[in-house]
Amino acid sequence: MWREIANREAGKTRPNSFKSRVTSGLSSDLQLSNHKDIVSPHRGSVNSLQVDLTEGRYLLSGAADASTAVFDVQRATEYEGGGAIAKHRHVFAIDKQHRAAHKFAVSTAIWYPIDTGLFITGSYDHYIKVWDTNSTQVVMNFKMPGKVYRAAMSPLATSHMLIAAGTEDVQVRLCDIASGAFSHTLSGHRDGVMTVEWSTSSEWVLVTGGCDGAIRFWDIRRAGCFRVLDQSRTQLGRRLPVLRRSMTNKKKTVTGNGAKQQLALGRTPGKGSVKLRMHPGLLSTQDRATAHYGAVTGSRVTEDGMYLLSAGSDSRLRLWDIESGCNTLVNFETARLQTSKPIQMATSGDSRLAFVPCMTAVKAFDLWSGETSMVLRGHYENVNCCWFSSQDQELYTGGNDRQILVWSSSKPHEDVSVAEDGDNWSD
Amino acid sequence: MGDKSESSGSRKRRRDEADEEEEKTEAAGDADEAPSLEDSLMFSDTLVALRIMRAQFPRIDKVAIEPFVLRSQLYSSVKDRTQVDRELETLKRENMLRIFKLNTGQDDHAIMFLEDYLNQIERVTKRLEENKKSDTEVLEWFKKYVIDCKLEPSIDHQELCLLLSNGGKVKDEHISLLINAGLLTRQLIDPNMYWFAIPNIGSILKGLSQGRKELLSLLKRRRYKEMMLAPLEKKRLRLSPLDIRFHLRDLIGSGHLKTLCTPTGLVVRVSKD
Repeated sequence: MWREIANREAGKTRPNSFKSRVTSGLSSDLQLSNHKDIVSPHRGSVNSLQVDLTEGRYLLSGAADASTAVFDVQRATEYEGGGAIAKHRHVFAIDKQHRAAHKFAVSTAIWYPIDTGLFITGSYDHYIKVWDTNSTQVVMNFKMPGKVYRAAMSPLATSHMLIAAGTEDVQVRLCDIASGAFSHTLSGHRDGVMTVEWSTSSEWVLVTGGCDGAIRFWDIRRAGCFRVLDQSRTQLGRRLPVLRRSMTNKKKTVTGNGAKQQLALGRTPGKGSVKLRMHPGLLSTQDRATAHYGAVTGSRVTEDGMYLLSAGSDSRLRLWDIESGCNTLVNFETARLQTSKPIQMATSGDSRLAFVPCMTAVKAFDLWSGETSMVLRGHYENVNCCWFSSQDQELYTGGNDRQILVWSSSKPHEDVSVAEDGDNWSD
Repeated sequence: MGDKSESSGSRKRRRDEADEEEEKTEAAGDADEAPSLEDSLMFSDTLVALRIMRAQFPRIDKVAIEPFVLRSQLYSSVKDRTQVDRELETLKRENMLRIFKLNTGQDDHAIMFLEDYLNQIERVTKRLEENKKSDTEVLEWFKKYVIDCKLEPSIDHQELCLLLSNGGKVKDEHISLLINAGLLTRQLIDPNMYWFAIPNIGSILKGLSQGRKELLSLLKRRRYKEMMLAPLEKKRLRLSPLDIRFHLRDLIGSGHLKTLCTPTGLVVRVSKD
């Protein structure tokens, strides 16, 4: 390690390659952390985890007993085992005793992306609440038509502060914090919406996955979705650079425009009615392509915004190329995935590994070859959510056994952990 | 190639053959480029595995059916699953085989070579012509227009009528005939979409799901939930017309069973997850 640092100092290795070598070394060797422990106050299964995006310091968790807790993952509250194990208790926790707390399970808890002064929780009691962190009071309340499965805010947004909410209702609603009202709804799904994610490359693009198996891309400035992912539209791996690309996808998808052209040829289809000229946004509702054979239970956009990983209740994971809308046919070996609850997946910082909760274990897959590189077994029951912190190269997972586990590399860190000051001498 | 497959007996040797073929023949070119003629003359290793398994398909006396291979069987006999998926996609686009979605589970797919599928349709056509006098020209239109054009496992009603009307005027009775012949099945979720299906496969699918359950329960009843492969292969399943090698490959590929190497041979164990 010292030799590598000396090389970097002398200029023999470039800083970027040094950094990526260190981070990939740490993230490829994850085990149950032997120096860090999070003491979870929850009495129900942990449904959602998120570390804040600004500092990477506070972990927000939402659980099925309607409680929400915030942990500081960088400074421990106490030390055990002679300073070897850092215990992190909650900075504060909101449970059912709170006046304005949720009544049923909290299914999603996310930080306001700009700073940690606000956080948003969504629950099965049909409400989305916006909380002030310092005073732990509810600032805003949005009532949804059904159980809230997921809420998301765009990390890139500079001109809007919309919360996209996926509920068991077929419409995706956008709630505006600035005005306290709903800004608009996106319709097109034919069943509840289990996963909602904002794109990491554009502040206007939203990706939703529904219980009908469809994944739709919405530009919130326009009506209707502009792309529906179809699992039969495939491409073999990464797209080639523009000059050498050859279009191997021969057949055209049947869209509303296609039907209009065919009608013009004078043939009427057997049972169908003549299509009225529809708004192009509404035509997307006719598109019934499915991305999975069951419900879409989890989705994750990679950091560079180019690929989407989706998990379905048909126990398949699919990797999609967002720009071309094709299935890249990478096969991730999963025997079973949870089907009733949405799962939260994570990708490592350089998008090399994907962490997916598969029943009681969390499997780390190599994103492009689909091989299982690590199986992390530690939870006693099903794992619901995981979050990879790229600052510390650590993985936090939460499951039905009410625990939040920390997985980190077992190599000793260079900076010595702070030990308690045991004697009476002043330092 | 055919002789070699007939003579060697054990499943493990078959898998070793598939692995050898993997090392000998490269996969058909760089998968990203458009397939050229010289690439499609070479065997990709998924293709070798498909041909070998097709040759091993058990003969069933009661039902006349052409051999098909399940996707999970391919996963268990070729190491890299992504490569299997991509090669299947290339072969499908080259019109060498067709993939059908089965209703025996969440993600079951059956792969059949195109010649076999067309033979199966011929058989069904002949049987229908003998039995009733209703016009079977729809089956001809189906073969000529729909199968060539539509490569996915499902088709929606509008497009089906449009493609069939290339042959003549389409009536509702025609679609009913196709469904009765077993070539199409309606989707449960969406009344306007149909799955392509293999005719006469019903009893075999029942045998498939019952055979899976029987084999799994056989292993689960044992004390340590495992058994040596050699004696396991010799057993016969009561409820399934398909042989045990078929079911073993399928269950290993779908992850319900796993194999371990021991000094005395391969052991098959129920995987817990």
